[in-house]
This record gives sequence, structure tokens and C-alpha cells, in this order.
Amino acid sequence: MEQNNSLPPFQGLASPQGAMTPGIPIFSPMMPYGSGLTPQPVTNTNSLSLLEEQHRQQQQQQTPQLYHSQTVTTTTLPGNTPLYTTTPLTPMTPITPATPASESSGIVPQLQNIVSTVNLGCKLDLKTIALRARNAEYNPKRFAAVIMRIREPRTTALIFSSGKMVCTGAKSEEQSRLAARKYARVVQKLGFPAKFLDFKIQNMVGSCDVKFPIRLEGLVLTHQQFSSYEPELFPGLIYRMIKPRIVLLIFVSGKVVLTGAKVRGEIYEAFENIYPILKGFRKTT
Amino acid sequence: MCLPHTVLRLDRIGDVLALPKVQCPNHPDAMLVEDYRAGDMICPECGLVVGDRVIDVGSEWRTFTNEKATQDPSRVGDAQNPLLNGGDLSTMISKGTGAASFDEFGNSKYQNRRTMSSSDRAMLNAFKEITTMADRINLPRNIIDRTNNLFKQVYEQKSLKGRANDAIASACLYIACRQEGVPRTFKEICAVSRISKKEIGRCFKLILKALETSVDLITTGDFMSRFCSNLGLPKQVQMAATYIARKAVELDLVPGRSPISVAAAAIYMASQASAEKKTQKEIGDIAGVADVTIRQSYRLIYPRAADLFPPDFKFDTPVDKLPQL
Repeated sequence: MEQNNSLPPFQGLASPQGAMTPGIPIFSPMMPYGSGLTPQPVTNTNSLSLLEEQHRQQQQQQTPQLYHSQTVTTTTLPGNTPLYTTTPLTPMTPITPATPASESSGIVPQLQNIVSTVNLGCKLDLKTIALRARNAEYNPKRFAAVIMRIREPRTTALIFSSGKMVCTGAKSEEQSRLAARKYARVVQKLGFPAKFLDFKIQNMVGSCDVKFPIRLEGLVLTHQQFSSYEPELFPGLIYRMIKPRIVLLIFVSGKVVLTGAKVRGEIYEAFENIYPILKGFRKTT
Repeated sequence: MCLPHTVLRLDRIGDVLALPKVQCPNHPDAMLVEDYRAGDMICPECGLVVGDRVIDVGSEWRTFTNEKATQDPSRVGDAQNPLLNGGDLSTMISKGTGAASFDEFGNSKYQNRRTMSSSDRAMLNAFKEITTMADRINLPRNIIDRTNNLFKQVYEQKSLKGRANDAIASACLYIACRQEGVPRTFKEICAVSRISKKEIGRCFKLILKALETSVDLITTGDFMSRFCSNLGLPKQVQMAATYIARKAVELDLVPGRSPISVAAAAIYMASQASAEKKTQKEIGDIAGVADVTIRQSYRLIYPRAADLFPPDFKFDTPVDKLPQL
């Protein structure tokens, strides 16, 4: 299933070579010059917001890039427009082939876990909840909250006596919100005046596979200030990206885990930032 | 002995009169060597004793351990530790002797031995702990000094203030060993410390962040000499094991495996090919790895065993007869 969002032509963009008709949407790849926070080498973050910024950059890379359209996966992307669109090419436009460095990775990290909190707005009696609700466990000597589970969406909630609740295990933002509402309903049915205040997603975890083995020793040598690789402590390299503030666990097999995001876009942005770097440390054998 | 005339020169630096400089009459440019034991200043060119009766800076009394501790007549304290303490120039009043210093119950009247330097007390305790830990694994003085310096830096920064001092000390010891080029595994540091490996690891990462330093990655060769000598393996086996481990990493036969595990598997292979065969359990005990881990890494390097051995290795057991687990 493809989504085609045709972008309005950017009239404000003067064509540098003078050979391109302004009617064609020109995708200007962004080359953020390092503030030291975004990992180098020069990366190409193709998010729509950057295109709309209309930065004039020094590199003459204003060629229309061919982006393969993204097949949207079953998890919908609420609130997010797809990042990639095909360029309708007219025969009059000279096309220069896209350089590999500015191509997108084509891999989309899959969300694995969402942690969210919500305030039910009333004090709760955990003992009655634990006794009357199904799938609830409460061991006050071990932990001061009721642990409740529901099957659809498969999530776990920690419900505290103050009325605050933590919902974990959902695979998308909508599922997390739905699950939290279900838990609130359960609490409401048990007789408490539960409300649904301040639902907030606190953490999102995503994972993906770059499909090639990675030389972690090389990566830790060049990105010392961001990486921590201690094979005695953990087999993966822990990369703390500063912008966006995401922690990535990078493994020799090529699997990457991204965590610490508050919004989905941060995970995607972080992966697009790290992908060219990982390509540079691909194992050649 | 009588001295020939010494030339005493009064230097005038501007209008200020400098201190009189003694110099040898025959060699005015020679730098005089000070012999502090005899209290002499000797000219190195001709051996003339130029200045005498220089103050002797040796110790006043020689102290022996079997003498009664209370009878130490030395009037100076311990050597100052200027790098690490705040410059301990405080005066201590010792316990009194004689009848007047004891009250009617027999307790001494003046009781102020406790408060030495409260701000540095924790640091002194930590230094003592560091020295104890380092002694257990026979670490040289330079590592202990480096550890002390690291601890001082971390302590003064106060960013890790909530953590147990022992944990920070253990982590500093680990970092110092790494920085000196002789890394010790976390398990080895764990063995001499009361702190868990997890906590030492956490403090290690926090200290690297706080001091904004980094350490080199560990390699298999760093541990070979220690493990092999602990197992009593001869030099050829050690060299063979080093070669095997290096080759295995170069050929990328063991991706993602900890260098310690690879080193242990290499030692196992080398010892099994030589006359001194060691079991996986023995090697696992010394290296701090489980024997299943050695087995796993060994299975990865076994297929290419023939390529991994150094060319000049004398096989007691040929490659095809190596154990296959």
C-alpha cells in the first residue's frame, strides 16, 4: 500500500544550475554541518520539516533525488506524513544520479515498546483492585503497586495508590493510549471515579537490522566521545547520540536497538543519522 | 682535614644582595654535588670538599619494628603526601607522659588524637583501601599512584558523591590498570574488592564520563602472560596462544566474543596441542570465564585450527588429534 503525498513545488528555490524547471518538486537534501551533536559523516535527513526550512546549503546537491516510495507497514503512522515520495520526472529535466552518501537507508526501525504514564485523578485502594480485578497481582512487601495485564493490546500496567499508572508493552502510540484507557475502564468499573488525565508517552524503543556486520572497534575509536564499548560488560556498543537524544545499542551482527525517544520521529531521525556511519564500519570479510 | 681557601662570591643581582655562592676555586663553573650524609659539598671535577657542615637531612633516629611503639623518639611525623592531601600541616599533640597528664580515674586528660583532617579522612581511608586491594594482586607502585590520583580527581569533582567510596576506588584501580597498559579484568578486581562487578562497571562508566577520559579497548594479548604463567605454561605455549588469539580475531572467527573468552579458548587450544595439557575448568578458573564459554569460543576457532598455530610450533598432539567438543 503506497501513500503518495505530492508536495507543492517549492517556488522559492532558485535552481542553481539553471537547468531545472521550478515546477518540479526539488528535494534539497539537508547537509547539517556538525555542531558536534549530530554524528558525522554528512547525513541526509529527509524529513519533511527540513525540506520546508528551505536552507540554502553550499553543496550543489540540488538534484532531484529518486526516492523509492515507502511501503507503509501495518502499524499506521498517526500524525506523521511519510518521508519518501517518488519524483514525477519529465523528459526535459536532466537527471544526475544520486550520490550514495545522500541516499536514505531504506530501513525503517520497528517500534517494540512504548512506556506511557497517565493520571487517573483519584486515590485508589490497591487491595480491593487486586482482589476483584482479573489478571492483577499485588505484593506490597515487594512493590507498592498493582501489576495488571490485559491481552489486547498485550500490555502491562503498574497502578499506584496515588492514582498514577504506568503502561508498558504496547507496540504503537495508539495502542498504548488504547491500553491505558482499558485499564482506566477496569479501575472505573471497580467503583473508583477514574479519569484520564495527562496521558504522556515517556519512552519509545525501536529496533532494526542494517543487514551487514559492523566493526565495533573502529566505531568506538572514531566516535569516542559518544560510544562506550566494553565487551566485558555488554557485548554491544552503547552510542549516546546527543541530537536527537537517543541511546543506540549497536551489535556486531548489525542489529540496532534505539531507545529514549519521546516521539516516533526521533527514532527515525537517529537511525538515519547513524546509518551512514555504520556503513562506513561495515566488515569487509 | 684543612680546607684550602674557598672563594666566596657575593653576587649582586641588581641592587639586591644574593646569597653567597660557594664554588670550587679550581672549577668555578662546576655544579657542586651535595653529599648529605656527611654534610659536604663536593666538586665533581677535582673531588675537593668545598662546603662543610651543611645540615644533615637524614632521619634523627632509626626506628625498628620490634621496639615498643610508644617509645618512638622521632620528632617528625610521616612523609608529607602533598599531591594527594590538602597539604597536611596541622600540629598534633601527643599523649602525655608523667603523672600530671592523667586524672584521678587513670584516663588521660588531653584526648585530642581523633580529629586529624576530617575533610580528607574519607580520602585517606580510600587510599588505604586502594593500597590493600592493589597489594592483594601485587600491583606496582605506579599503578597505585595513578589510582590515587584518579580517586582524588573524582572525589574533588563530587559528581559521584553518592556512590560508595570503595566502589569508586575499585573502579579507579581498574581504570589505572587499563591506562598503564596492563588491564585487569573486572572479575580480577572483583576478587580483591567487596563491590560487585555490576557496581564497579557502573562506577567505571561514570568516572570516565566525569573525568572526560577514555581508555583503550582490551585485546587478547593483554592477558596472555598473566593467565599462562598462572597456569604454569611454558613460554612457547604462551606465545602460541597469543598468536592463535590474534589470528582468530584477525580472521574474524569469533565476532562479538569477549576478548577474555577468546584468549581462554586460545590458551586451551595451545595447551592441548603441547605437552602441558590444561582442562577447560582450570583455564576457566584462572581466566574467570565459565567452561561452557571456553567451549563455545573453542568450537568457533576449531575448524581453522591448522591456520591459527604459529608456523614454528612444535606439536605434541597434532592438529587433527585436538579435542573436539
